[in-house]
Amino acid sequence: MMTPTSIQRILPRRAIAILTLTAALVVSLAPSRLLAPAWADDPMSVVRTTVNQALGVLRDNQTPLAQRQDKLRQIVSATFDFTAMAKSALGYHWKQITPGQQQEFTSAFVAFIEDSYLSKVNDYRGQQVAFLRMTSDGPQYAQVNTDIVQGDKEPIHLNYSLVQEDATWKIYDVTVDAISIIANYRNQFNRVMNNQGYATLISDLKNKQAALAASLANH
Amino acid sequence: MTSGPKQIERTGMRWMMLASSLLAVVSLATPALSQGAAPMSQNTAAQSAANPSTQPPGENNQGGYADPIAGFNEPMFTFNLKLDDWVLRPVASGYATIAPQPVRESVGRFFDNTRVIPRFANNLFQLKLAEAGGEVARFGINTTIGLAGFFDPADLWFGLKKHRNDFGLTIRYYNIPTGPYLMLPFFGPSTIGDTVGLVADGAMNPISYFVPLWVAFTVAGGQGAAEAVNYRSLHLNQFEEADRYAIDLYGAVQDAYLQTRVHDVKKLHEERW
Repeated sequence: MMTPTSIQRILPRRAIAILTLTAALVVSLAPSRLLAPAWADDPMSVVRTTVNQALGVLRDNQTPLAQRQDKLRQIVSATFDFTAMAKSALGYHWKQITPGQQQEFTSAFVAFIEDSYLSKVNDYRGQQVAFLRMTSDGPQYAQVNTDIVQGDKEPIHLNYSLVQEDATWKIYDVTVDAISIIANYRNQFNRVMNNQGYATLISDLKNKQAALAASLANH
Repeated sequence: MTSGPKQIERTGMRWMMLASSLLAVVSLATPALSQGAAPMSQNTAAQSAANPSTQPPGENNQGGYADPIAGFNEPMFTFNLKLDDWVLRPVASGYATIAPQPVRESVGRFFDNTRVIPRFANNLFQLKLAEAGGEVARFGINTTIGLAGFFDPADLWFGLKKHRNDFGLTIRYYNIPTGPYLMLPFFGPSTIGDTVGLVADGAMNPISYFVPLWVAFTVAGGQGAAEAVNYRSLHLNQFEEADRYAIDLYGAVQDAYLQTRVHDVKKLHEERW
């Protein structure tokens, strides 16, 4: 194997510059070209942009918390498909409730997930995020694997599941250390629906969300 | 610490484990019960047949899990929560105030090091020879240079990573149904098959060959209790955090356990090839 220094001795400088440029172009274009039709909007860059924007808000200690929460809400709602998440979390029970209840459930679930996410703001301790890889699950679906690096401890593995809707990629599930959040709620909701019914589910959901919102306002 | 009633309690908890494993063997032999091994699919079939193309990957389990012994599991879950509330968490937080975190992490490593035999054996059962050998090397290095396992130089200096494994995973590795979900008192979430695995791994504790059975049970129970306190002291907010975000805590724990086990065995298969 040739070391970088021996290559430098053999090739003239201009050739190296051109080679490096070409290589950089190929490397930056090839994976996204191969895996997704629109390279400017591939799943990896969607996740990277969202996470980096969110990290920017989290790191910003100067702005008041309420404003930061509003900003995060905007960032999150732009890339998360909350309606699909609500529908998926209810599983086959979705078809058993009325359209009015579907709407009521979706907005309650969205508020709950948003407040869960926002309540994590205070837990942020400057962790870095490593964007590992993207895998394609067929033409419409993709997974993006990231790690939350936390010093010498085991990193938290955070995977995003994305679906392509009208040429834009949206996140429909997040997997934390192998546990799919939507599947986890689906099992919970399924139990409440079977044991107590929709009325209990919606009131429990609203109560938990209210508790989260109250703790958010107190900070 | 080793007063009479506590010993009886510990011995009792081991016996409870044995009793449930007997139950396990019986029910594994019953085909009707062992069918519910994987995520329940009663409604899945109908759902995906009606709607095959719109289901995102990995989202085909549209119902919950089969839980035929929920009548036993739910009270046990409540019992474990109460036990945690009244005993484990108070003891663990008291212990956390006297022992600094690095010490408690070291104690965790010490306990982990003593569990080498089941890890070695199960890697061997799955024909993972390099991993099995790695466990032996890790044990040798960490027991000596790592001062009885309180430190992990095998990983830090030699890059030898731990390969978690247990008999419940071996059962899954060979696609043997693990039976219905089972909430064990003291031990927490499990399945019938994982409980058999727990007993099998426990039987690999070398101390059980040299001392009377009741002594082995007492020591194992004592170690289990100490390990539980140490673990809980390092995860003091665990249940409080989980409860904040859960609508149905039982369902959240059940799903987290079963998803993790499925993922662990999938990883064991992937590492192989």
